[in-house]
Amino acid sequence: MKRGMIRAGIRTLLIQASWNYERLVGVGVAFISEPLLRDLPGGVEGERYKAALGRAAQHFNGHPYLVGLAVGALARVEHDGLPPEQITRLRTALTGPLGSVGDKLIWAGLLPVASAVGLVLAVWSSPAAAVIAFLLVYNIVHFALRGWAIKAGWSSGIEVGKRLGAPTLKLGLKVAGPLAALTVGFALPVVAAWLVRHVEAHELAGVGLIAAVGVVLARWVWPTLGANRFGMAAVAVALILGWL
Amino acid sequence: MTENLGWLMLWGVMVGLDLASVMQTMITRPLVAGAVAGFILGDPVSGITVGVVLELFALEVLPVGASRYPDYGVGAVAAAAAAVGAPGVFGTGVGVAVGLVVAYLGGKAIHLVRVENAEDVRRHRRQLDAGDSAAVVGVHLRSLGRDVLRALIIASVGLLLAGVGPLWIPLNLQGSIYLGIAMVGAAIAAAVTGVGRLTGRRSGLRWFVLGLAGGLAGVIFG
Repeated sequence: MKRGMIRAGIRTLLIQASWNYERLVGVGVAFISEPLLRDLPGGVEGERYKAALGRAAQHFNGHPYLVGLAVGALARVEHDGLPPEQITRLRTALTGPLGSVGDKLIWAGLLPVASAVGLVLAVWSSPAAAVIAFLLVYNIVHFALRGWAIKAGWSSGIEVGKRLGAPTLKLGLKVAGPLAALTVGFALPVVAAWLVRHVEAHELAGVGLIAAVGVVLARWVWPTLGANRFGMAAVAVALILGWL
Repeated sequence: MTENLGWLMLWGVMVGLDLASVMQTMITRPLVAGAVAGFILGDPVSGITVGVVLELFALEVLPVGASRYPDYGVGAVAAAAAAVGAPGVFGTGVGVAVGLVVAYLGGKAIHLVRVENAEDVRRHRRQLDAGDSAAVVGVHLRSLGRDVLRALIIASVGLLLAGVGPLWIPLNLQGSIYLGIAMVGAAIAAAVTGVGRLTGRRSGLRWFVLGLAGGLAGVIFG
């Protein structure tokens, strides 16, 4: 099983490759689970292996770094011989929490924090320092979480829900949001001041005006516009003004 | 740029794959993607400058569930390629403009890949439900192949735009300044909007204001 865990661990790095609108990461979950299911009675030609892999390939959603928790737990309960209905219920029960915990912890916590650290170092130190610090801050937590998830899932089996309430994870969820707000708040004026360091006073007013229009549009007038499209519209306006 | 085209292309594909399909170590963040592209081109400062601006845009993105988002990583590689060599505000504005267009195209291409993946799943539904391991591995690896192709195409289009964009965009000095101003203003708006999403609750807002005060103090006294 150790070899299966290592293979599954490596495969988690590709979890989202087959993301699709039909089963979301369902096929990815089956792809990761496969090495963990080979040891089921009957082997890869056995009925239990095929039934388990078929269940694993159904619709599933969860944060890619925490999906290992579900993969490990579901593989374990397949080995424990739990009834198929109970396995399906466990799978359904894990979908929501794995998504929401991961999103809060990583996308709304760790990623903005690492980004803010990188941004400040880009301004106050050097490009190399910014890149190295960003990747270190982010990936130490990232890989630790991936490794922990699959091991914790396998060792917990049907009790996997308790792992989502682990003290370290709870603490992470508690501090992730405020830390992201604090660090991004710190980085914003530092970066903004650096970007406009060569700008004249009247041009600075232009930067402020566009920023204000963008925020008002995004928050109150046209929330689905998106920064990318707003940016492209700003490009078009700037080009027309320059041409005139 | 032409002598480093192979390395830039390789970096663009790696960055494109890192967005979702492979590892997600976040080399796809514009800060990293732009800076490394700058290193490849021998101008890390231009690379990190466009990377910083596009990173502010990327702070607006929350890649949760089935949300659709631009591919700012490949955009940053193209932006760095467009910006390198041009002085100050000239390169930054044009580079970021190219980067935004490439990021948009990259995001659209991700959607197409995911639609095609869903079609593949539908075609092999019976085998998948029956626990056919060859079907599971086949669907997964074909999907990965589609994303490799997507990253390759978007990186190629991005570098092409980076090569011809600065020549085609009708810019005079005033236009370049307007473009730089527009890009920085829009980037700040994106970051503020992103922070607004992070700090929806009152306690989050308090921490943001505290950070903002610290950052301002750093700018004034630093």
